[in-house]
Order: sequence, then C-alpha cells, then structure tokens
Amino acid sequence: MEKGYLCIVLHGHLPYVRHPEHEDFLEEDWLYEAITETYIPLINVFEKLIDDNIDFRITMGLSPTLITMLMDPLLQRRYLKHLESLIELATKEVERTQWQPEFHKLALMYLDKFKLTRHVFVDKYNRNIIQAFKNVQDAGKLEIMTCGATHGFFPLMHVCRESVRAQVRTAVDQYKNVFGRPPRGIWLPECGFNPGDDEVLKESGLRFFFVDSHGILHGSPRPKYGVFAPVYCKSGVACFGRDIESSKQVWSAVEGYPGDYNYREFYRDIGFELDYEYIKPYIHSDGIRVNTGMKYYKITGETDDKQAYVPETAMQKAADQAGNFMFNREKQVEALYDMLKKKPIIISPYDAELFGHWWYEGPDWLNFLMRKIACDQKTIKMITPSEYLEKYPSNQVITPSMSTWGYKGYNEVWLEGSNDWIYRHLHKASDRMSELVRSYPKAGGITLRALNQALRELLLAQSSDWAFIMKTGTHIPYAVKRTKDHLLRFNKLYHNIKSRNVNESWLNDLEYTDNIFPTIDYRFHS
Amino acid sequence: MKKTAVKKSKSTKISKAKSKSVAKTKKTISRRTNVKSAAKLVKNKVVKPVHSSVETEVFPALAEGKQQVGESKFFRRPAGVQVQERDTYELPAEYGDTRIVIQVRDPYWIYSYWEINADKWAGLRQEFGDVLNSAKRMLRIYDITGVIFNGNNFNSFFDIEINDCASTWYINVGTPGRSYCVDIGLLLSDGKFITLARSNCVTTPLDGPSSITDEEWMVVEDDFNKLYGLSVGLGVGLSSADIKRKITQRLQSDISSGAISSFGSPVKKMDQKRGFWLVVNTELIVYGATEPDAKVTVQGRPIQLNKEGTFSLRFALPDGEQTIPVKAVSSDGGEKRVITPIVNKKTI
Repeated sequence: MEKGYLCIVLHGHLPYVRHPEHEDFLEEDWLYEAITETYIPLINVFEKLIDDNIDFRITMGLSPTLITMLMDPLLQRRYLKHLESLIELATKEVERTQWQPEFHKLALMYLDKFKLTRHVFVDKYNRNIIQAFKNVQDAGKLEIMTCGATHGFFPLMHVCRESVRAQVRTAVDQYKNVFGRPPRGIWLPECGFNPGDDEVLKESGLRFFFVDSHGILHGSPRPKYGVFAPVYCKSGVACFGRDIESSKQVWSAVEGYPGDYNYREFYRDIGFELDYEYIKPYIHSDGIRVNTGMKYYKITGETDDKQAYVPETAMQKAADQAGNFMFNREKQVEALYDMLKKKPIIISPYDAELFGHWWYEGPDWLNFLMRKIACDQKTIKMITPSEYLEKYPSNQVITPSMSTWGYKGYNEVWLEGSNDWIYRHLHKASDRMSELVRSYPKAGGITLRALNQALRELLLAQSSDWAFIMKTGTHIPYAVKRTKDHLLRFNKLYHNIKSRNVNESWLNDLEYTDNIFPTIDYRFHS
Repeated sequence: MKKTAVKKSKSTKISKAKSKSVAKTKKTISRRTNVKSAAKLVKNKVVKPVHSSVETEVFPALAEGKQQVGESKFFRRPAGVQVQERDTYELPAEYGDTRIVIQVRDPYWIYSYWEINADKWAGLRQEFGDVLNSAKRMLRIYDITGVIFNGNNFNSFFDIEINDCASTWYINVGTPGRSYCVDIGLLLSDGKFITLARSNCVTTPLDGPSSITDEEWMVVEDDFNKLYGLSVGLGVGLSSADIKRKITQRLQSDISSGAISSFGSPVKKMDQKRGFWLVVNTELIVYGATEPDAKVTVQGRPIQLNKEGTFSLRFALPDGEQTIPVKAVSSDGGEKRVITPIVNKKTI
C-alpha cells in the first residue's frame, strides 16, 4: 500500500503571437520550437506509456492562448512549412557531416525526429495536436487544467476584479468548447494568487488551483499539514501548494538535473554557427540568425571547448536521474507519513516548455520516471488533484497568502521600473470595459461585434508575458508594442462604441488579426 | 497652480531619483519629473501651451528600448505636437481623472500611481486661493488593518513628501500583513491636509507563518517548524528565525518560473566572460556535371543529379586524408567514368 502521492504538474503556455500580416514573423518561432521540442515529444511519451500499459498520472495546464494557437489553421500551416524546412536542413546536414561520425550520427537523429514529428503532426492528428492531449485526458491518465484566458496576472488586477472574471470565464468557455466538458482546475498565471480570487474561480465552477509553497505556509490560520495536503479557501475551492524540494531538483540551474554535463547544450545551435550562406535559407527571412533546433554539443563543463553530444550517455543519465528523483520522493513520503500520520501529496509543478526545449532530455526523464514509479516501487502513487480531492474531501480551511512563483515570490517581476507604466493604462481600460458592459446590457449587430472585440483587445493587452519580457527579455520592443497596440485598439473601440460610430472595415481587420476566442461574450467582463 | 501649468506646457524628461527628504524616515523611490532638463529637449521648437483637457495634451513616447532602474527613458512630448500620432501610436499620459491607485509589490512595498485633473485643481484654487502656492504635495499612508476605513478610523498614518511632477511612487510600508489606504493631498503651511484623491485599499501578505492557529486543525509549534522546514526543502531542526531567513533566500533563488514567457531568453546561460577568441572551420565543396540521366555515386553513395546533370556536395572537412571517388555510369550502363580527388587537410 502506498504511503503518499506524487502530483507532477506541467504548465504549458505561450503568449498569443500570430501575425497574418507578415509572411515570416520572428516571435512565431516560439510556438514552432515548442511544438517540435516539447509538445510533440510529450505526446509521444504519453502515448507510448499507454501503449505499454504503464499506469501514470500527469496534470497539465494548457493556457487558452496556447490552445488557440495550436488549433489555428494559419499557424498550423506555417508550422508545417517550418518543419519541412527543418527536414530539408537535416537532410543536408546528414550529407555535410559524413566525414565527422560523431556529428553525422546526430544529424541522422534529428532527421529521424523531425520526420517522426511530421508523422505525428500530419498523419496522426491532422495538424491539431490538442486532439492528442484530449485523448490522453479521455484515457484517464492526464488531467488538463485551464489558465487565465491570456495569462493575465491576477494579483495586479486587484482594482478591477471584473477583468479577473473575464480572464477566467473566457478560459472556461474555451475549455468547454475544446474538451467537451468543463475544467475542474486552473493554473493561475505565474501561480499568482490574491486572496478573494478564489471566489471568482468558484463562480466559474472551478474546484482547485495551485500556489507556491509560501502561499499556503503563510496562509491563515496555520496549515496543519504544510504543503503536503491541500486546503480549502473559504469559498470551498481547493488550493494545492508547491513542494520545494522536488522543484529544486529539476529547476535549479546550479544543482538541478538539466545542468548535467552530459546533456545537450542549448546555446550551441547550428543556426548561429554554420557558414552564413549555407544556413541562410533556414534562419529568419531577414537574415537574422536564429535557433534551428539542431545542436551538436553537450554541456561538457564550464568551458567554451564543447564536446559532441552523445545521446546514449545522456539517456543513461536521464534514467539515473529519474531513479534518483523517485528515490528522494520515496524517502520524503516515508518521513512525512511517519510525521503527519497521513498520506502526503507532493506537488511538483514545472513549466512544460522546460521539458524538451530548455532541457532536451526532459521528456525522456519524465518517461523513465513514470515507468520506474509504476514498476519499481510501492511507496508513492501518482495522482491528479481531482482524484485526490475525491479520495480526501475533508481538508482544513485557510486563506492562502498572496504569492506568485516569480523571482522573490511576489509581484516584483511584473511591477518594477521597466513595466510599471502599463498598469495605469490597463486599469483604465478595465474600467472602460466595465462601463461599456453596464451601458450595453444587450448589444446587437455591429455594436455587439465591437464590444466583443474590445474585450479581446483588453485580454490580449493583459498577458503577463509583456511585463515579463519588458523586465527580462530579449524581445522588449515587441512586448512594448503589443501592449500599446492592444490598448490603443481597445481605446479606439471604446470611443467608437460610445459615439455610436464603429468603423466596420477597421473592425473587420481587427477581427481578422486578433481573432482569438471566437465565442467570447463581452459580458464576461462584469 | 503655477507648477501644474509648467507640467502641462513643457516637455519633461522623467527620471528615477531617490528622495531622501521624506517624512518619518521612510525610504522611497519615485520616478521624478526633471523640469530643468526638459527645456533642452524642446529648445529648438516653438511650443505653445495648449489649454484643453489633459487627455489631449500630454503624450509620453514610451521608450521601447531596455530600461534600467536609475535611467528611465520616458519622455513627454511637447504639448500639442504631433497630435496626429496620438490615436495611432501613443497612449495618453493621463485620462482626465482624479484618481490614485495602489498595488502590492511584496510584503514591504506598495506601488502607487495617480492623476489629478484640471477641474480638481481649479476647484481647489477657488476654494483656497494663494495658500496653495506654498502647500506641499504629500502621500498620506493610512494603516487601516482590521477596520472599514471611513477617513478617520485609521490605526496610524505617515506622510511622504513628493515632488510636484511625480505621478508614481514606490512606498516602503515596512510591515507585512497590514492593510493600507493612501491619500494624495496637499499639506498647507498651517498643518491642514487636503485630500485630492483617496486610493483603493490593499493588504500586504505576511512574510512568515501566521500567528493564528486553528482549533480543529491544531498543530504544535515545534511540529509546525519542522513541517515548515520540510515544506521549503530545508529539512528539520531549524529554528523559526533560521527558517524565515532561509525562505527569503529561497524566494530569491533561481528555481522560480522563467522558461515560459522567456522563450527567447536564457534560463541557465552561464555568464560568458569570454576573452578574445577565434574559430576556424573548413568545408569542402565537391561539384561537377555529367549526362542528366547518368547514375552517380560519391564515395560509393548514390547522389541525386540536378535537372541539367549537375551536382554539388558540401562536406565538413576534418583533419586527415579524404579519398573521394566520384563515379558516373551512363543510363544504358555502357559507359563509366571515375574521377577521384584526394584531399589532405592539416590544422597547425
């Protein structure tokens, strides 16, 4: 009999980047890289586990922006074009590396992987890989959560709770349309929780969410079981807290698994290294060198003199680390079981894109971990939040503390010198949206379209990604532009609606460009 | 009133500055408008002050470059200039409201932004007249923990003097787990405080465990400390003081989220303190032509000919000798040619 539970959570999210007005748009590559390196490899792992009759459980947040992009015909078409070009490059690489056996082997590996990716993307799922995630969910192995509609950062929407509501309602509405049933849980964007937001979740029928460890540990009254059991908010919505020990093993850049010297080096991509004329057709059309996804070196050590990547050694390492992770969880669960006189639940959340994109061997590590847990031990059992709550419906009631999983644990990443200017405008737009909803309780015709589009623009402006990039990123002008574009579009719509003078051809353009959430209802913002 | 007029009619550069002359020794950081340096920006332009509503007057061209604390690059465009751009490119600096909003940054700091519209100023001027000229602009921070604030029932308050052109301020409230409300107002020389706008209320989070325990879910102090240590991955046997210090370190460590939004930026890139460097690689191009329908092999491997019968192969060239037999056989199998380049590469 098991002594405790392990709940692995992967949060998949990318901001909405879709530019039909440009043939080749640099930031759209984020999606293409993530499909090739993270989403499809994860799907392959899950399917193989099911084929092999390995019982496993995993919980995933799929943000509504990511779902929309993965289901968008334009982006699907562009991704396929991108993938075809990768296959062409890999084919050339197989030839070019013929006299370098250590690289030749890798070129062949990439070629095989890209071809398999095309097979999964085109033949198996007809370009819609959301179907694959849905299948795994329907098989009872995966629990898919929703997220804020555009990953808006809730703690800084404190003064406009209608916007929190719109983020949640829009997300739940999309989930129902896509997965054919309502979501039970939500991954709060950036794990950002502000006490009271649970009421909004409850209104939309959500039953659980996650916070970082201090969200529960600093909650009031004191949590009897720390982060090793969920708590209920006063609203009755359950809250699970992140376990730090298991997070650190994977996340930490210094001591974490992904830093192993045998693993693939992220920063040595042939897109930056090979002869310019040769690589030019496979980088950005403006001639800017970008990552192609083909990388030939291992981390090697703290040196610039990198050695060739050896997949077999890396796989062995991933298997060892999966074993190490499992062993540590067993010890952790045993100690906690003795101490708490109760089966603890260990919550280990990670960004999905860490697996495969940043940590190339991540999906393999997960694969080994699932198999080992199913076959090699009896102390821990994998579980989803819904299963846990069904089994243990009685939990302590506390008010979790305001918290995020950002640097320093609170809101500073999204509220500091580089990005604090946005809130004056975002809050004003939220106020204006609420005003519109009050003024037009039953809009129709072009006013209805304009109101719905206004909410789309507001939601898009609210993506936490823009503030995040302004602070940390290498795409700052893009993030500033997106914030301004959506706010300006919103403001213009607001004035147009108020003056009953909506420019229809301009509205058509907007509906075409910012086409997210086709079934949105502007009254979500109330 | 004079000072506001300056703000509206001039282009001003806003920069970050530390204010040391604040009440009650609270440290604050603000973005301050530097009126003097602004003059340089508009030196060569004839700028007429425009007397319309605020929203149509001031437009910041938000810098799109990377900004760092201490060198904010926000500019205000001269009033009335480039009105054409307003709808298309720039957000208004202000919206014609009288409003102050506060937001929690962390257990110790709150951030505030505000704007006071022209009507409000006009009303005040009418009411108070010249007294306003010597008034100091203040933020008054009320501790309203545990009360429903009606303007008088605060637990305590402190003031921060702000410069007249600031429109945002980071306030160090110091104590976690308390509720706050902030007035922006004017302190007259006789000590009277006039509220211009009152903010929303916020509560800062605790920076450690709650002192409140639950009868039904009772946990003794020692057990809780042990559990707390385990929860944050620090193991057992730490004192509460240790734990508090450690969790602060933990929150500042590198296991926070990062990969998601930063798809284009590094998660674990090592600090590259690379000195002068040089990389040299060599590649060899083998190309040629034959009859378009011939069968060609290079080093024994069949290759695809272009339509006109040409071919071009590119190889990374390692050190050593490469023997590269190129063999062409005519489509009927009757003719055969072999040419064998031998390449010797040596790196010294």
